[in-house]
Amino acid sequence: MDGFLLVLWAVRLLFLGLIYLFLARVIRALLRDLRAAAREPIERSGRLIILESPSGEPPAGQSFGLDVITPLGRDVNNAIVIDDEFASADHAVLTFRGRSWYIEDLGSTNGSYVNGRRVEGVAPMGFGDELQIGQVRMRLERAMP
Amino acid sequence: MTAGATRSVRAPSQARMLGPIRPRPRWLEFRLLGLVAIALLAGSLSLGATVTGRFGLFDAQALLIYIAALFGAHAAQVLAGRRTDQILLPTVALLGGISLLLMQRLPQDLVTQTFFGATFGLAQVQLIWLLIGLTIATTLGIVVRSDRWLRRYKYTWAAVGVGLLLLTFVFGTEVNGQRLTLQLGPLSGQPTELLKVILVVFLAGYLSENRALLVEQDTRLGPLRLPPLPYLAPMVAMWAIALGIVVIQRDLGAALLFFGVFLALLYVATGRVSLVIIGFVLFFIGSAVMAVLFDHIRTRIDIWLDPFADPLGAGFQVVQALHAFARGGLLGVGLGAGLPEIAGNLPIPEVHTDFPLAALGEELGIVGVVAILGLYLVVIERGMRIGAAAADDFRSLLAVGLALVIGVQAFIIAAGNLKVLPLTGVTLPYISYGGSSILANSLVVGLLLALSDKGVEPPPLPRTGSRWRRAGRRAAT
Repeated sequence: MDGFLLVLWAVRLLFLGLIYLFLARVIRALLRDLRAAAREPIERSGRLIILESPSGEPPAGQSFGLDVITPLGRDVNNAIVIDDEFASADHAVLTFRGRSWYIEDLGSTNGSYVNGRRVEGVAPMGFGDELQIGQVRMRLERAMP
Repeated sequence: MTAGATRSVRAPSQARMLGPIRPRPRWLEFRLLGLVAIALLAGSLSLGATVTGRFGLFDAQALLIYIAALFGAHAAQVLAGRRTDQILLPTVALLGGISLLLMQRLPQDLVTQTFFGATFGLAQVQLIWLLIGLTIATTLGIVVRSDRWLRRYKYTWAAVGVGLLLLTFVFGTEVNGQRLTLQLGPLSGQPTELLKVILVVFLAGYLSENRALLVEQDTRLGPLRLPPLPYLAPMVAMWAIALGIVVIQRDLGAALLFFGVFLALLYVATGRVSLVIIGFVLFFIGSAVMAVLFDHIRTRIDIWLDPFADPLGAGFQVVQALHAFARGGLLGVGLGAGLPEIAGNLPIPEVHTDFPLAALGEELGIVGVVAILGLYLVVIERGMRIGAAAADDFRSLLAVGLALVIGVQAFIIAAGNLKVLPLTGVTLPYISYGGSSILANSLVVGLLLALSDKGVEPPPLPRTGSRWRRAGRRAAT
């Protein structure tokens, strides 16, 4: 009978051990998954979608692919021309530095806003953030694959 | 930047997106499911040896059917060839298997149901629900390729949810003083379980659309910065619904779950701690008023503060659960070796729905309980990862919200069992007995599986209609 009890306890511990083995395997898979995600090439290609543009230039709904340095403003030499009465000629510049996108206000009269907050100098922008220049509202998004 | 870089986005054609269906091996899932099967067989052996006194599986038929169904679901996913998550299904399968072992071990006459003239006991009914749940999760994971039916009709879903709630208010039958169960002909169910999924769908849709507006700072209230007041209205409505559930349905657990998930999603969407603080303050004020006004809530809190004041009456369940955890100790007494019935009654009333963690704590010990909580953490981690990798806000919020529903619910009932929080009658996801609970939580797994596939339909373009124009004008002034 003692032998039976011993084996029974072994089976009980085996059950617990197997649950932990499963957890260990899953955690290993999770770690591998996270490491692979960290190794993935940094998503540097972004696009700017115009959400709202009262003057119609650029038209709402339009999407701009972004270069590593993308100047925005009312002047026609800008990559993205914002023909809005509240935008300055050289208003702001979007740059990709290291791991993420940054918006830099170039001393514009009415300022640039990220998610409603006025940009002082340089501010980081994540995908999904909203940029407002003059009355034009734009959103930074991942480029479509 | 050249003029050519300016382009409008066009969704790739449907045919290119889907491609021909080609089987795709899922070795990670296969290996993990193999491990789940071996673990469950070991558990069944332990249960059988304890109960019958000789080595053999306990009710091998039910367990083998369950394991076969797991591999069937795996095979279906391999044949469908989608790149969905491979960790979620085995994790939930292990939780379901532990549930099956627990239900086999409890007295079978706790629940009897008669289908087509045949009468089934507790474990058999639970097995049937687990199989149906597995089918739902796998089917959703294979079939759903577009989220348009969720995204576009979020107000319709919200209306369905509120309708369900009202139906329960009016036509619900009272069980144990809680008006939770809705009886429709031969079918009965608890709509709040389904409601939590609908709530997440609605919140994901609402928050992803109004995220930018909630993040903007317009209103200041002393040191607090609030979003524009009209956009706080849904929050207040949510708070009112949660309190309504408490007052009319007397369902503290669902109210806590809904409000917790709501606050967490609000934080994920806006990243503003002030909203969460306001939410908690509102919740505590509401709870305090409720505790003064309503007897049943005050009773719950009294039991929580001191269950030993009335150990054989009001505090009986909680006291017995604490004893069960204490008996379990570090390694537990072994499956099937927990306290048998006392004078024909279960030591813990409602152990199969409200206190499965206490039963498992007794039989598997704290080591087993920690492992089970670890499995829930894995489910949450998967939801977060799926959300982080999702293509747009709606899918991110949906994935995170679905995972949080499971996580918060498991936390609420585990904390209730352990007397960390006042006890509320929610189910332990995937482990508690109950059709509604298993079906709703399978729905969650199915949606998470579908969301985890990156090769699905791209998210739609932002709307340029009146809503944006209105919002823009508001922000410009």
